Amino acid sequence: MTKELTYLNYLKQDRLPTQWCPGCGNGIILKLACQAMEKLKIVKKGTVMVSGIGCSGRSAGFFDLDSVHTAHGRALPVAEGIKLAKEELNVMVISGDGDLFGIGGNHLLHASRRDTDITVICISNAIYGMTGGQCSPTTEVTSKTLTTPRGNVDSPINVQALVTAHNCFYARSTTFHYNHAMKCIFEALQHKGFSFVEIKSQCITNDGRRRGFKNSYEMLMSYKETYRINNSTNKLEHNEIGIIR
Amino acid sequence: MTKSLLQGNQAIALAAVKAGLNFYAGYPITPASEILHELVNKKTVKVLQMEDEIASINAIIGSSLAGAKSMTATSGPGFSLMQESIGLAHMMEIPLVIVNVQRVGPSTGMPTFPAQGDMLQCKYGSHGDYFPIVFYPNSVAELYEFTFNAFNAAEESLSPVILLSDSYVGHLYETIEESDYPISNRTLAPLGTSNRHFTGLTHEDSKPVTSDPEVHKKLIKRLETKQKKVSRKYNDYEYIENKNSKILLIAYGALSRAAYDLKDDYAIYRPVRIFPIVEKLIEIAKDYEEIVVIEMNTGQYVNEVERLLHRQINFIPILGGKIDLNEIWTKLRKIKKKR
Ligand SMILES: Cc1ncc(C[n+]2csc(CCOP(=O)(O)OP(=O)(O)O)c2C)c(N)n1
Ligand code: SF4
Ligand SMILES: [Mg+2]
Repeated sequence: MTKELTYLNYLKQDRLPTQWCPGCGNGIILKLACQAMEKLKIVKKGTVMVSGIGCSGRSAGFFDLDSVHTAHGRALPVAEGIKLAKEELNVMVISGDGDLFGIGGNHLLHASRRDTDITVICISNAIYGMTGGQCSPTTEVTSKTLTTPRGNVDSPINVQALVTAHNCFYARSTTFHYNHAMKCIFEALQHKGFSFVEIKSQCITNDGRRRGFKNSYEMLMSYKETYRINNSTNKLEHNEIGIIR
Repeated sequence: MTKSLLQGNQAIALAAVKAGLNFYAGYPITPASEILHELVNKKTVKVLQMEDEIASINAIIGSSLAGAKSMTATSGPGFSLMQESIGLAHMMEIPLVIVNVQRVGPSTGMPTFPAQGDMLQCKYGSHGDYFPIVFYPNSVAELYEFTFNAFNAAEESLSPVILLSDSYVGHLYETIEESDYPISNRTLAPLGTSNRHFTGLTHEDSKPVTSDPEVHKKLIKRLETKQKKVSRKYNDYEYIENKNSKILLIAYGALSRAAYDLKDDYAIYRPVRIFPIVEKLIEIAKDYEEIVVIEMNTGQYVNEVERLLHRQINFIPILGGKIDLNEIWTKLRKIKKKR
């Protein structure tokens, strides 16, 4: 009997379950990526997944694709090298906020400037999850982390401004807004040129619990309360999610 | 056969194209930039000028995985930036050629002057244990030839091979024959054909295994054995015997060219495959009472030689990018007197 094709076929099922904490947003984003690929009938042969280092950096290894787990921050130049050497490949990146905006921030500036035809999904959990919960470039002002015990004093990085400055595709969504997030990835994958999807995601273990959330459900609900979908703008406000082309 | 007047850096670029180079990523730096300048005019090579050397090495890791023979070239400061990803390429077993045209360091140092201060960085610069194959030619013709060897060794070992040079040899003009040499083809299937996972984590069968010491030991042993095996195909060195001399001089790269002037009075050994160190030296060294390593650093390769030969080795450092034969003469005389 043949099994019906499902999004799980995009994953190496013998590597499941993942080692991520219960309630972590990473799993939601893995599923979103698979379902968006399935919807687009993306063929596994000819598709490559690239990640950097971090909890999110483990993503690439779960896909039933040729995949590359690069050094911390280096997913983008590796992905660009792949794409520019073999243009017929679909090249996707899934990586973390620390990886893509902190240590790898310079590469984001230049990959978007070059408008390399790759799709990047950032698991934007506002924390360095893997290393225990240090402040990241996306941590909100006043937020308490392991390294900002009296509250973060620096503003988070403006990813939208960076990516759209080069007229690239930018979308923002959250792990609560499942269908919206799916649409963002779906459209990003079809975009010709550099496309960047930032998905706000919860790290309960090394972020949420320090900020008074009892569980990841409460964190998801906070996304529900904070973010409004805006479908007709070329600049998202702080509390808006949507797609800028 | 065509004869041409070529600069060392230019010879590397031309040979790389003949050896099958498809993809080059780099960042400008003296004294290596001519390689980038030469390659931008080649139709068969995709050339990217990246935002820095970290991006450059990572871009060629990607392009090589995608099936393109790939290279980057730099000098000390850029080579330092590449170190983390050189380790990654060893761990993921990716064929690459990395050219390092050395200049005086540390830091910005003396950008246009030759040095040999990156000898140990080649072998130990990245964290963890790895077993690089490193060549260091000393003429334009040899740079040309060893560019082929570097590409072939990279494909055969599935590892990043280092081609060392220095600003003296790199900027030297000599007439050479642009010969063709045999080429080793790709064996690594390009990305997009399977479901392999390439990772810098300790792994087994493309799966990360991060808490089993036995898996790690097995992996490191396998990499070491593989690198040694491939390197044995390239046992390159030059030995100028001198039966009248009890002293063997060891020099390489720019400095070895000056050492040739001493061959009437001394025997000379010049390693070309710098790492893994060529073991033939053990046999050669037996015939000499004293061994003197002369190098353009404060003592790097001399340690590797001592480690191989298990005996006291004399050492002459030449610093500041100027090779002065008188300085070498005087220091050699002191060593002679001491005996
Ligand atoms: C060069 C280097 N510096 C530091 C680290 C340690 N490190 C591993 S993951 C990480 C942060 C990851 O944060 P992020 O990208 O946001 O991923 P998350 O774990 O939150 O998913 C750091 C600093 C490293 N692996 N390499
Ligand atoms: S530490 Fe945070 S980001 Fe990492 S797996 Fe746990 S919940 Fe997810
Ligand atoms: Mg993070």
